[in-house]
Amino acid sequence: MKDRISQLMDGELDERAAGEAIAACGRGGEAGEAWHTYHLIGDAMRETCVLSAGFSARVAERLAAEPTVLAPRRVRPESRTWLALSAAASFAAVALVGWLALTPQPLNIPAQMAQVEAARPQEAPAIVPPPSATNDYLLAHQGFSPRVSFQGMTPYVRSVSQQGRERGK
Amino acid sequence: MLGRVLGLSALLCAGLAQAQSPDALDWLRRIQDATQKLSYSGTFVYQNGNRSETSRITRYVDASGDIEKLEVMDGVPREIVRTRDTVRCYLPDSRVVKVERQIESRGSERGFPALLPERINALARHYDIALGETQRVAGYECRTVTLTPKDDLRYGHMLYADAKTGMLLKAVTFDPHGGLVEQFSFTELSIGNVSRDKVKPRHKAQAWRWEDSDAAPASLTWTLTSELPGFRKIAELKRRIGEGGPVGQMVYSDGLAAVSVFVEPLEGRREPVRTGMASVGAIHIYTKEVAKHMVTVVGEAPAASVQRIANSVEFRPQ
Repeated sequence: MKDRISQLMDGELDERAAGEAIAACGRGGEAGEAWHTYHLIGDAMRETCVLSAGFSARVAERLAAEPTVLAPRRVRPESRTWLALSAAASFAAVALVGWLALTPQPLNIPAQMAQVEAARPQEAPAIVPPPSATNDYLLAHQGFSPRVSFQGMTPYVRSVSQQGRERGK
Repeated sequence: MLGRVLGLSALLCAGLAQAQSPDALDWLRRIQDATQKLSYSGTFVYQNGNRSETSRITRYVDASGDIEKLEVMDGVPREIVRTRDTVRCYLPDSRVVKVERQIESRGSERGFPALLPERINALARHYDIALGETQRVAGYECRTVTLTPKDDLRYGHMLYADAKTGMLLKAVTFDPHGGLVEQFSFTELSIGNVSRDKVKPRHKAQAWRWEDSDAAPASLTWTLTSELPGFRKIAELKRRIGEGGPVGQMVYSDGLAAVSVFVEPLEGRREPVRTGMASVGAIHIYTKEVAKHMVTVVGEAPAASVQRIANSVEFRPQ
């Protein structure tokens, strides 16, 4: 019956079959429950806010009943197709989203952490006045700079005044 | 769609061709040749941030070599005279002469860095080098050459060279975001006609204190756990800094920029090490303590690059 309700919701039934399905829903029971559930799923997929009180409990129940899929499983023929295909797809999507959100993914995590590690910027350094020996360091460094071969001695003018640098020594 | 893809790849190819433009590399060679072969005297202004300082530079070349003299005109008087293998820095206020003897570094000629032709070509690995338009500086028609870094580990440069002689009239340094870092610019320059007495030191300095760096190649017990991409070690030496004791120095370069790592024992030092970053124009200086030594990294590179080198300095006892 459930697949008839699903087909009804997807507009796939002719007038006579649709009439029968609607009548079945009206009687409650399995058809009525299916009608209710499928609409809730549809609402959830479209992010419609109003959900029935029992909805989340039922989804949680079914999620708990789901096997934890670690690898793609070979599809076996089901003895009983109790969900219509379109609704099944919707439900699988909800389940998958839930599963992705709730289940840690051990395979990806080290890679992600490595990326975060590499991308993490260095801690910004404290800004301090130039050391008291700055001019000596500059003089010692300058002679090795290849820029001297383009600029001659001009880069040697870089220096700090006595006031500008750290006291002491 | 196909047309667009072809157009895009053509554009990329054009960009690559421009980046490795033989003309632009030729101009770098011409600038270097001029820097080494011309006699000249001129006045230039050095600017960084709000600070600007005027200096005079004179260069004399003859068959026996070259002598270059730099006189800082603003602020504390300083005169630096460089001969073939020695730099002497005269400080009349404190009556001190600091002496730096150049030692061999990898890729250098006569102690001072002179880029060999293949090294100029190798610059294209880290910089896009392109010829720009012609501009006038201090009365000279100049060709511009831009060196745009391919990553944010190094600075970019724009060089203005006299179209006739190749003499560098202006050099501007940019940070990775295109902001101005520092600038050297001649305001007046005359090429040729320099007599030898123009490069003589102004001071006799016989009674002054002479501080020799005593630099000598050495194998240090220090290393970098990871080198900065493109930078390789070009020198390793023992030396003195000012009046202090022996200091280890390792120099890393990408062919244009250089970063020095100084290592000195903390023993006998009165003040604690003040960890942090300081800057002087395009030079960043990062100080920290490693294995009871003070490590000072000095380099013409963005702060993050200097800090990265400092953070990978490691004591490696043998």
